[in-house]
Formats: sequence, structure tokens, C-alpha cells
Amino acid sequence: MSKSLLKRFEWKDKLLAFIVPLLVLVAWQSAVSLQLFSEMILVPPLTVMNTLVDLARTGDLTNNIISSLKRVLSGFLLGASTGFFLGLLMGLSSLLDRFVGPLIKACKQVPQFALMPLIILWFGIDEVSKVVFISIGAFFPMVFNTYQGVSGVPKKYRELARVFNYKSFRYLTKVILPGALPSIITGVRHSLGLSWMFVVGAELFGSESGVGYMMVWARQLFQIDIVMAGLFVIGIIGFTMNIILQIIEKRVLRWRVSFDGRMA
Amino acid sequence: MSIGKGILEIKNLSKSFIVDNNPLQVLNDINITIPPGNFVSIIGSSGCGKTTLLRIVLGLETNYEGDALIDGEQIEGPGINRGIVFQDHRLLPWLTVGENVAFGLDGKSRKETEVIVDEHLKLVGLNGFKSAYPCQLSGGMAQRAAIARALANKPEILLLDEPLGSLDAMTRMHMQKELERIWLFEKITMILVTHDVEEAIYLGDKVVIMSSRPGVIKKIIDIPFTRPRDRSSYEFMQIKSEILEEFHLGVEHPFIYSI
Repeated sequence: MSKSLLKRFEWKDKLLAFIVPLLVLVAWQSAVSLQLFSEMILVPPLTVMNTLVDLARTGDLTNNIISSLKRVLSGFLLGASTGFFLGLLMGLSSLLDRFVGPLIKACKQVPQFALMPLIILWFGIDEVSKVVFISIGAFFPMVFNTYQGVSGVPKKYRELARVFNYKSFRYLTKVILPGALPSIITGVRHSLGLSWMFVVGAELFGSESGVGYMMVWARQLFQIDIVMAGLFVIGIIGFTMNIILQIIEKRVLRWRVSFDGRMA
Repeated sequence: MSIGKGILEIKNLSKSFIVDNNPLQVLNDINITIPPGNFVSIIGSSGCGKTTLLRIVLGLETNYEGDALIDGEQIEGPGINRGIVFQDHRLLPWLTVGENVAFGLDGKSRKETEVIVDEHLKLVGLNGFKSAYPCQLSGGMAQRAAIARALANKPEILLLDEPLGSLDAMTRMHMQKELERIWLFEKITMILVTHDVEEAIYLGDKVVIMSSRPGVIKKIIDIPFTRPRDRSSYEFMQIKSEILEEFHLGVEHPFIYSI
């Protein structure tokens, strides 16, 4: 098979992903056109698009996105870095793992949204509580994936490091962390994804800006078009973040691609 | 023989593991002295403790009875005077071939490292593959890279734990020749653990035969042939059948007749 033909197939593969969303859009528009639902409840896609453009034009949307992203960033950095270090330590020391591992696993089972009232009680209603809430969402995927990655570095590589007298720092940076990297990157991806979900949740409680705030406020005024526009924005941003991380992942984990016939 | 470095003396060495709360003796009263620059093959059926013996010399198993001495000093842990090639190549998949070869080098400048890596890639015939990743190499090539990594530190003793065991027959024979060439070039002690009788004879100055449960040295056979050796020569075959006899694999009544 020639290379250009292969490329065309890949391109077609990507096109396939658009078919179902297009069908949904068509079904959505026809449901409204056929008056199956009231336009008040199910706003037609074109109206949502117009609303989106309007929101973008006034700058409201950008401001809300920026304030949401700021919260996500601080919450993610706080939660993911804590999760990373704890996961790393647990992966390195089975003693620590036995001490805190079960506790963390148990905590993960608690629905984190249930913690929001407590967090507000402890940290107040303003920014801090939101960042703390997001960081809890970011923490769990990071701690588990890092732990799994570090403890999953095969024994044969640890033994090799021992044979060559690798000590602490060199051992960590040359053997453990690179070996755990695929898992760590998966952790970052899930962690960031959850942060983005949690920010919208956090903004439902006493907020004055953000995409979640925009949606809550619109719902109260029964501006369903804005609610739907908000949903769309959340989806697109979450999707984009995931794609960016996947590109980084591909770059960083070049060594994982299997033999591609380049040297045949 | 010149008194070089890298003399290995093993005296009254025994080792047992605890399996299900019971001690299991894997090595019993092993005695052998390997002079510097020798090539010694250790052969035995699986479970005879040959790999354990190698791991003791390497310094990965430290809890043993008796003496294991290198240049008169008790082995207490891994050290760069010993190199190892495992059966699985154990190249780190996230490092390039060049970086893998440099893996054991410590405290060398970038330039020195570069020179050592190039030199050893050339020695094992892998020049041009420096920036390839291990996943792009064939089994034989990966094992060459592993040999280069083990030699980069200039060890006095190179331990080979069934290094060619996972290669196909043709590649294996080719790699045996390569190992011999590298040994003649480096002039260091090499200890090869294998279960391939032909390989043991082809490469060894001595073939150590071990038997299992507990692992003891059954016989040490000197291989006096000049190198390179002819696998199909009469003498070669004779030693081969002598060794196979030790494993009760000899032909009981060789019967040849011609008209």
C-alpha cells in the first residue's frame, strides 16, 4: 500500500468522527422544527450559535472563560502536585503505601461534590474554597496514576540500576520517573479533565464569574440558549485540553512507538 | 599467564533460599578459581543454581556462606569491576541505544562519554544505531547493545547469563563468533552461563558442569582447542558427547555401519 493511500485512509477515519455529531445536530434541529419540544426548552442549534457569537462579541464569554481557567489552573497545580508527590512517595516506599494507601482509596469513594458544603464552611465562599474543591478533583487521578507508574517500573530495570550503582537522585531521574512517565501523563490528563469539570461545579456555589456562573445565572433568568452555549463552550475547552495533552504525550513518549519500518 | 586483575576465587560457597518457610539449598560447596582473562562456560540443567552463582559474583545475592573473592576481596555488592549481560537485553526502552550504552558511565564528561559510546558501538557492530530506540532493534542487535553497555565501564569480569538464549539458532551461532571476537579484543575474564552444550564448548577455555538439587560442580573440563573452533571436528564432537553423557543424554549404543 502506498503512503499517500494510507494517509487518505487516516483522513477518512477522522471524518468518521463528525458523522454522529452532525446527525445529532440534524435531529436536534428537526425536533424543534417539528415542534416536538418548545423552543424555550430545547433551543435550536442555530440560536445557540447566535447566542454564542453575541456572548463572544460583548466579551462576557471571554472574561468568564478566563476566570474559570484561572481557577482550574491554580486548583490543578495544587491538587496534581500534591497527588504527584504523594503518589511518588507511596510508589517508592511500601511502608508509606501501607499506611496511607487504604485511606486514600477509601476517600476516593466519597462523592467529592458532597464535600462542597464542608469546604465552604472551612474556607469561606470566595476563591479559596473553589480552588480547594478543584484541587481535590485533580488530586485523586494524579496520586493513583503516579503511584501505579512508580510501583510498576519493572523489577528488572530496578535491578539493572542496582548493578550500575545508581543512587537516589540519579535512580529517580533516570529510571523511576521515565519508567513511570506514561502513567504520570495519563494522570495529568485525567487530573486536568476533572479540574475542568469541577470548576463548573464550584461556580454553581456563590460565584460572580466563570462559565459555570454564567450558566447558573442564565438558568435563573430562563435564558436556556445561554445555558446551552455554556455547555458547548465547556465541551470544546475540555476537548481541546485533552488534545493538547495527547500531542504532548506523543512527543514525550516517542520511545513507545513500535517499530515503524523506517530502517527496514 | 600474567597476573592481571580480575581473578575470581570461589571457596566452599553455599547458598540457600527460604521457600515456604523451609530452607532450600541451591548451591553446595562450590569451589572454583578463574584466572584473569579466562573464558569459562558454566553449564547445567535448569535449577542447578548457575544463575544464582552468577548473581552472587555480580553482587545481587549477598547472603551466602563461604568465600566469593575478586582480587582477594569478598564480594559484598555490585561494583563496576563486574559487568553483566542478561538473557533479556534489559535496555531501557526510553533511552536511545547510545544513552543505554552510556547508562553505567558516571562522572565522565560529555565528550568522554561520547567517545566511549562510539567506541563500544563500533566494537559490537552497531555504529549508525546510536539514536535508535530499543524497540527498533532486532533481538540480536539489542543483545549487542547490551554487551556494549556492559563493556563500557571496562569491567574486569563480564558475566553472561544465557545472553543468547532467546535468539534464533543462526543468529546465536553468529553472536557466538562475535562474543569470541570481543573477548579476544578486550582480554577480560568472561563467565558464560548457558544450557547450550555446543555454545559452552565453542567459547569456553573451561566448561564447568553443574548438577542440580543442590547445585554442585560435577566436573570441570578443559577445552584445549585452538580458536576459532570447528564445531564439526571430531575432537569437538567427542567432548560434546562426553558432556552430554554427564546429563545422561549420550547415545547408549552408538552403532555405525556401512556396507
